[in-house]
Amino acid sequence: MDNDRRRELWLPHAMSRRRLLAGTGAAVLFAACGGDDDSASPSTQGGGQPTGGSTGTAGGPATTSGGPATTSGGPATTSGGPATTSGGTPTSGGTLRVGLVGSTNDLIDGQYIVAKADQARLVSGWDPVVNYDTDFNISYEHSLAEEIETVAADNYVIRFKEGLEFHNGKPVTADDIIYSFRRRIDPKLNLAPGLAELLGPDGMTAIDDRTIEFQLLKPAVTFINGLAEYTTTIVPVDYARFDGDVSNQIGTGPFMLESFTPGTESVHVKNPNYWGSGLPLLDEVQIIDFADAQALTNALASGEVDAAVDIPFAQVSTLESDSNLRILESQAGNWLVITMAIDQAPFDDVRVRQAMRLIANREEMVERVLAGHGRVANDMYGVLDPCYPKDIPQREQDIEQAMALLADAGQEGLTIDLFAPDDTAGLAELIAVFADQAQAAGVTVKAQVLDGGTYWGDEYTKRTFATSFWSTRPYLIQVAAGSLKNATYPETHWPSPDSDFAETYDQAIAETDDSARCEIIAEMQQEEYDNGGNLIPFFYNLVDGHAANVKGFEARPNLLNLDHYGRGWKNIWFED
Amino acid sequence: MGIAKFVLKRVLLGVLTLVVVSIVVFALTQALGDPVEAILGREAQPASVAAMREELGLNRPVITQYSDWLSGLVTGDPGISYTNGVPVLEVLGDRIWNSLFLMLVSALVSIPISIAIGTLTAARRDTAFDSTSSATSLVLASMPEFVTGLLLIVLLATNVWQVFPAVVRIRPGEAPWVDVGALVLPVLTLTLGVVPYVSRVMRASMIEVLESDYIEMARLKGLPERTVVWRHALPNAIGPTLQVIAINIAYLAGGVIVVENIFNYPGIGLALRDAVTDVNVPVVQFIAMLIAAIYVVVNLLADVGTILVTPRLRTRLQ
Repeated sequence: MDNDRRRELWLPHAMSRRRLLAGTGAAVLFAACGGDDDSASPSTQGGGQPTGGSTGTAGGPATTSGGPATTSGGPATTSGGPATTSGGTPTSGGTLRVGLVGSTNDLIDGQYIVAKADQARLVSGWDPVVNYDTDFNISYEHSLAEEIETVAADNYVIRFKEGLEFHNGKPVTADDIIYSFRRRIDPKLNLAPGLAELLGPDGMTAIDDRTIEFQLLKPAVTFINGLAEYTTTIVPVDYARFDGDVSNQIGTGPFMLESFTPGTESVHVKNPNYWGSGLPLLDEVQIIDFADAQALTNALASGEVDAAVDIPFAQVSTLESDSNLRILESQAGNWLVITMAIDQAPFDDVRVRQAMRLIANREEMVERVLAGHGRVANDMYGVLDPCYPKDIPQREQDIEQAMALLADAGQEGLTIDLFAPDDTAGLAELIAVFADQAQAAGVTVKAQVLDGGTYWGDEYTKRTFATSFWSTRPYLIQVAAGSLKNATYPETHWPSPDSDFAETYDQAIAETDDSARCEIIAEMQQEEYDNGGNLIPFFYNLVDGHAANVKGFEARPNLLNLDHYGRGWKNIWFED
Repeated sequence: MGIAKFVLKRVLLGVLTLVVVSIVVFALTQALGDPVEAILGREAQPASVAAMREELGLNRPVITQYSDWLSGLVTGDPGISYTNGVPVLEVLGDRIWNSLFLMLVSALVSIPISIAIGTLTAARRDTAFDSTSSATSLVLASMPEFVTGLLLIVLLATNVWQVFPAVVRIRPGEAPWVDVGALVLPVLTLTLGVVPYVSRVMRASMIEVLESDYIEMARLKGLPERTVVWRHALPNAIGPTLQVIAINIAYLAGGVIVVENIFNYPGIGLALRDAVTDVNVPVVQFIAMLIAAIYVVVNLLADVGTILVTPRLRTRLQ
């Protein structure tokens, strides 16, 4: 079944909150990667997305063809109402009620998530080792580490901040840190298989009580991306997943778990020992589960929640007209993709691949598939990676050239099946739009929508012409996930046998110099842009909502919803 | 034969019905998909698949699985939730009471209203009041709950007036009546689904009674029309309506599933949706059987009630 694929990735809820959920963002990288997580989270069957009259387009790249046109692209914007940035003087106190789509399978684990609901709860209670800033460079803000020294591509020394304490007042020691990493790579728990490939249980040595040396099994600068995942947190020795007793749920984060009923709600109270001075501001946070995005949106509109994760795109304009509400729209690096298997006819001819990419009218796809809530992409991923090449020209629709390429390749009047699952919002719409656009070039695309269980089953990654979705990740992490022969999900069968792409990748992950590595990445991106099998039409935004009197959320490029859940809600406050 | 014998016969028939339903439910839930696949995922190792099958008892012959399940149901142990290993009754716990409460309140609100509307429209047949209420009930009867529910939300919770909450939040350990205001919209939605049917039938039954000889006699005796309608006609008109009332109450058991999803009401309807999505077979089976049992019990009560309020039938039994 489709589990792993879905768990690995991440899409807006609507689609299939169970499955996709595993980790968004760069964060995904180690957390995800297949594998079951001790069965706490059975993912669902195909078609398991919230169904029923009112919930069809819940969240995600929902379709609203015919919806009001919104501008795409440009820097992160707060659509609607005045800017959501914090203004005025922050005040303390109050209870924030956050609504999100969740279920009775929700879990709390300081180092693992399956669903978005789990993300929000994890971020409340546990801080990451390091973090990304808005340019997606490594940042020590909101983080437990004070400094990471790269001694070599396989040797790192991490010094943690001084005076860190757990919720119960116990100081964070080297033992806790080593335990935390050993738990992350424990093959029985399988929380972070990617990290487990780089780090062995004996790879850590305490230099002093807050400084640890990491000797990796192989050179890989992507180790640092692994540290920057929100699931790479510090837990006390002997920490284990929530199994009914809140007193074990101890972390370093701004809020402490007070109660948790999966599928209903969790209550988090202020951590008086929090290391960030004067934080958090709120007294309490309640994270409330909703069965579907429609009910959640109604709850926000009627004031039953103060903030809501993932507003269905089709509902954004309605909510914007309410002066008591604010829409928080952040650019992200999530993408949908049409995949072409580069070793299967007709796509074994690069001219046919290019023709498909030239047929696509990406602006129209953003409008019709995302209702405008995204920006045009250029067949390359990793858009938030600081090494993303800015000087490669935007590919535009060019029917004439596409027809010429098809004629050269002997493929005029091509007829081909294009597959999509029914459980991932946006994909069925995407292939329908593409089929429309292809007609102009004399190409007959037969849009085939399969139920999710079938789609992500045995044939997944074997189809010639198909679709998929991915979350925000640094470029090299994404390559390992989808663009190598031994990738987790080799959808396009990239690279071709005569390419040295894989060797270039090995070179890149062993390169400790940032600018030298960016140059290598630029070459790799160029090669995928010229020859690859991905037709990437757009990156879609994270769209959340909150009451106008809730302050502290900022619209900025982000990995996680609600401005990274207000970094564990610590920056959020109520205006009187 | 006496009433006791009649009731006993009906109870036995009800039990038989439930046994048949249990076979159907069991067979259909097998078609939900493979729970082991759902739990472990595609990459699951054959060894762990085998272990999981063993653990869930899926290696037993189907007949054994069915009889074990049925005897579990009868003894109050409907099994373990696949997703978290917690007993089904514990998983559902308060949710069952929440749903029953919602049904009960909806029935208590909608049935008297239906009887009153049916009686009044019959007594004032062919007046403006009658035709207006006929038209309104036809419109309402043609709208499914998810439409009325969403319209009510737009009208009374979000876009037009913000009078009632759009969702119901029952906190863990709290009773469903703690926030009465939140119950208004779900109850109203269910009421609007029930009233048109019951009031139409009540009206027809009432009209028939009002045209009978004994009502004519009562009027000729000079009794006020009010007394004629409410004291003499009503008790005789309710009998034939009881069956329809029963069907509608039983229908509420299904209606709550839709309504709970609209209002995020934490009952068995929301649980059922999760369980179906997750191929959590024991939970799906239990909720299906619970709803079937409500149907059977309500219909049984209606049958008995009809006998008791209808002198003709009552005397025939004695």
